Amino acid sequence: MTWHVAEDDVRAYARGELAPPMLWSADTHLAQCAECRALLASVTDPVALDAGWERLDAELDAPRRGLVESLLVRIGVADHTARLLAATPVLRRSWFGAVALLLVMTVLVTDASNVATPDVFLALAPLLPLAGVAMAYGPVLDPTYEMTVVAPMHGFKLLMIRTTAVLVAGLGLNGLATLALPGYGLAALAWLLPALALTATSLALTPRLGPVLAPGVVGGAWTALLLVAHGRATHGGTLAPFTATGQTVAAAVAVLAAGLLYLARDRFDTKTPGFGPTA
Amino acid sequence: MTTTVSAAGLSLRYGLTTALDDVSLRLTEGVTGLLGPNGAGKTTLLRVLATAVPADEGTFTVLGHDPRTPAGRQETRRVLGYLPQTPGFHPDFSAFDFVDYVAILKELTDRTARHNEVRRVLAEVDLSDVRGKRIKKLSGGMRQRVALAAALVGDPGFLVLDEPTVGLDPEQRMRFRELIARAGEGRTVLLSTHQTEDVAMLCHRVVVMAAGRVRFDGTPAELTARAAGRVWSSSERDPNAKAGWRTGLGVFRNVGDPPPGAELVEPTLEDGYLLTLDGMHAEATA
Repeated sequence: MTWHVAEDDVRAYARGELAPPMLWSADTHLAQCAECRALLASVTDPVALDAGWERLDAELDAPRRGLVESLLVRIGVADHTARLLAATPVLRRSWFGAVALLLVMTVLVTDASNVATPDVFLALAPLLPLAGVAMAYGPVLDPTYEMTVVAPMHGFKLLMIRTTAVLVAGLGLNGLATLALPGYGLAALAWLLPALALTATSLALTPRLGPVLAPGVVGGAWTALLLVAHGRATHGGTLAPFTATGQTVAAAVAVLAAGLLYLARDRFDTKTPGFGPTA
Repeated sequence: MTTTVSAAGLSLRYGLTTALDDVSLRLTEGVTGLLGPNGAGKTTLLRVLATAVPADEGTFTVLGHDPRTPAGRQETRRVLGYLPQTPGFHPDFSAFDFVDYVAILKELTDRTARHNEVRRVLAEVDLSDVRGKRIKKLSGGMRQRVALAAALVGDPGFLVLDEPTVGLDPEQRMRFRELIARAGEGRTVLLSTHQTEDVAMLCHRVVVMAAGRVRFDGTPAELTARAAGRVWSSSERDPNAKAGWRTGLGVFRNVGDPPPGAELVEPTLEDGYLLTLDGMHAEATA
């Protein structure tokens, strides 16, 4: 060798601070010069080197991210949160497929019936996110539920992470369906506030009634309300929940239920429904 | 030995069913076996101690933490590893994915540290080679080991194992026992099982439960000693025996009150267990 990398440059190289073009020269030279490699090894901080190997190991062993998880990480969601979201039981192709199919059929029926207000669509749309959220946390669809409830992560935090994911997905599908009904204008969006009200109410009732009964009761109450409203509506008129007054009430219920849910947040860690007598 | 987990007066009812009835116990480092027939309350006790369900009455502490307060519950969960009776898995996860997921639930959010921990626990249960394989393609024994690895994340001081050897073939069972024995070094392990061999091979202490109550609490040798002088062999099943079965040698092994002149044989842990349960039946019918 006719030249060697200066010791200061080797130290900078070890710290990752050597800038091009000297960095390129050092790279090439170190590959061929045992003397400089020995110097590099002697000036490298062993702790930093170990940390580097650990990071490399972690990357090599890192689980291959699925489509949803990769997308979440790409838009800035923390790696561990993305993993929790991707493991949300209802965020599966089968769930999306079923919901999308149901919405397509509802939109087609609404379109074909040529009615003044899209009542069938507006009645159904709030139930879909409700069902999704109900199945996101609990023993029914989450195979890891029993391990999850004894983990130090707060149950409420996990519930909120999953609820956000399911709501974004569910409301997104509903939104796409709404776009498929342009003839109704803003009236086709009247499902949104009831959807939020039903979901928040169901979650607020979950610590008391459990993750199956709570959405069941709320869904049943919504259906009963619609039947009553249908009986009272004039022919071709808008059902009460979808009028301006009904929307205001839905917004108020959503806010109230969200407040109650927040107050009951600790109960998701103390009262864990789904366990009964064992064989 | 220092008490690490203590429970006093734990009771829990599901409607009309009494699952736990005034259960008190003290655990120390090492593996404690929890024996009992179906419906004895073993799983319910483990769920209560694992903070999965709250007891109606009674108190308990785990490594000094009292789970009755939110902060105490959080601390309890931080020192806890729990392997439920039927651990569920996300079907598309690999072994690494699943343990990584549980590690996140156990608050390991730093990616590098978490993955190192996942590798460590998978190595501890001898699954490093199949860490990338989907769980649905692993054998039953391997799946149990994945679940054990998940329970070991964070090096918990208290490990709760609910019938981990059920459904495993003899070879897998032996292998799992080795892992439990290893896991019991330096930590408190409560092992629920139907198998008296599990207790005989692994446990320094055994608790027998029936009908929601503790019926015996002592060493395996003490449980075995309960059957001293109460086990005999005969060529026919003795109708007065509490229990009797034909052994591999073709003779009958009888447990109960031996008739005069009976050919007494050395008792085993199973004999002591059977007599403890029988004593409970006698007590119930008295």
